[in-house]
Amino acid sequence: MTIYLVIALLAVVGLVQATLVPLVAVWGVFPDLPLLLVVSWGLLRGSRQGLLWGFVAGIIVDLFSGAPFGAATLPLMAVGFMAGLGETIVFRNVLLLLLAMFLATVVYDLLFLFMVQISGDLLIMKEGTGHTVEWSGSLARVIGSSAVLNALLALPISGGMRVLDRRFRHQGVGRVGL
Amino acid sequence: MRRERLRRLIPFLLVAAVIAGLIVQRAGLWQPIEGLLSRAAVPLQKGISQFVAQVEGLTQTARDLRELRQRNEELEAENARLLLEIVRLREIEVEAALQRDLLNFAQSHPSFDIQGAHIVGVVIGRDPSNLQRYVTLDVGRKAGVARNMPVVTNRGLVGRISEVGDSWSRVLLITDVSSSVNAVTSSSRATGLVQGRPDGLPVMRDIPQGDTVSVGDTVFTSGLGGNFPRQILIGQITAVERNDTDLYQTAIVQPTVDFNHLEMVLIITDFEPIEDEPPKGE
Repeated sequence: MTIYLVIALLAVVGLVQATLVPLVAVWGVFPDLPLLLVVSWGLLRGSRQGLLWGFVAGIIVDLFSGAPFGAATLPLMAVGFMAGLGETIVFRNVLLLLLAMFLATVVYDLLFLFMVQISGDLLIMKEGTGHTVEWSGSLARVIGSSAVLNALLALPISGGMRVLDRRFRHQGVGRVGL
Repeated sequence: MRRERLRRLIPFLLVAAVIAGLIVQRAGLWQPIEGLLSRAAVPLQKGISQFVAQVEGLTQTARDLRELRQRNEELEAENARLLLEIVRLREIEVEAALQRDLLNFAQSHPSFDIQGAHIVGVVIGRDPSNLQRYVTLDVGRKAGVARNMPVVTNRGLVGRISEVGDSWSRVLLITDVSSSVNAVTSSSRATGLVQGRPDGLPVMRDIPQGDTVSVGDTVFTSGLGGNFPRQILIGQITAVERNDTDLYQTAIVQPTVDFNHLEMVLIITDFEPIEDEPPKGE
């Protein structure tokens, strides 16, 4: 039952991410809601929950994305897990929270590009064509701005997640799996 | 005792006074008294009548106000309905204009068998990542769409189909870093490869140093490589990066298609792209 709730929530967020969010670009980039949610939840509930949320959110993002399957799932799982290592510590300090979200975005984007590169190389070997990655251009033009934007949104998103956490913690909902 | 007798006489006295008044009036002696009374009464009457008129006016105003308010509400409702209608009609007008433009494009390229499609990107289909540039269309295999088919609008090249489902397809935009299109400039016929960049502004690479490329030149597909038909507009050169030590020069290309506001595209279904050969030994 609880896992269905998580899936439903992340499916809605994934849908919004693939439709409305790209229309509100700032500095040429748009916020990454699934990443914000996964990292916030990991920071609140620990590594196992971060990992699980990363898995569900990643599958949904991969369904909507033109990138190879798994390119979002594995990085989101990794980032969710890593965020969980800062459970209860990061939320004590606003600056730490902003820094955590900034770093999480950089790590996620680099892992995403790595996944695209690996699968692209495999595709090129197999089919002669595939995804390519421009590391320096992506770092300079996209990842930095994206990390700053996500860090700025960390406060409202994590605030919302805390409300969700409090509400479902009392009801015993949200402690899913693992 | 005397007072008691007087009290009994009052009705008779009053009747007598009325009769006396009647007699006085008949005798024409009433007018001076009437004039005297009128002089005192008229201002009062006037004041009272004005007051009544004002009260009446007020009640009328209140009634009018109520009616006006009701009328206003009706007009506001009507206005809202008409505004909605205008928005709807404008939407239809925009859609019709888009379709007309696409039709013009189709008529000006009669050699292509063109399948019209609505992009659902605005509703369900843009890529969720900042690092990828794809859009999702609402037509797929059932409509005859296949992988690698070129996608265009009346303004130019959009990209090519990268994935196809039964009723959806995904387009790799020319602004994605994985996209590369063989291109030629309009004036000097300089050839190169238009490739996407992470910031969404493509560049034309591998232009031989000897070729002249200028800002303002338009860039078209060259047809080389067989991935896209010839003569489809890609964009305009906005900057040229030339270094004497390099073998090739590079130009920044501003696409003519507005990728942020894509609504409808055309898929060229009769063009058969040359599939990339797998490397030998695979």
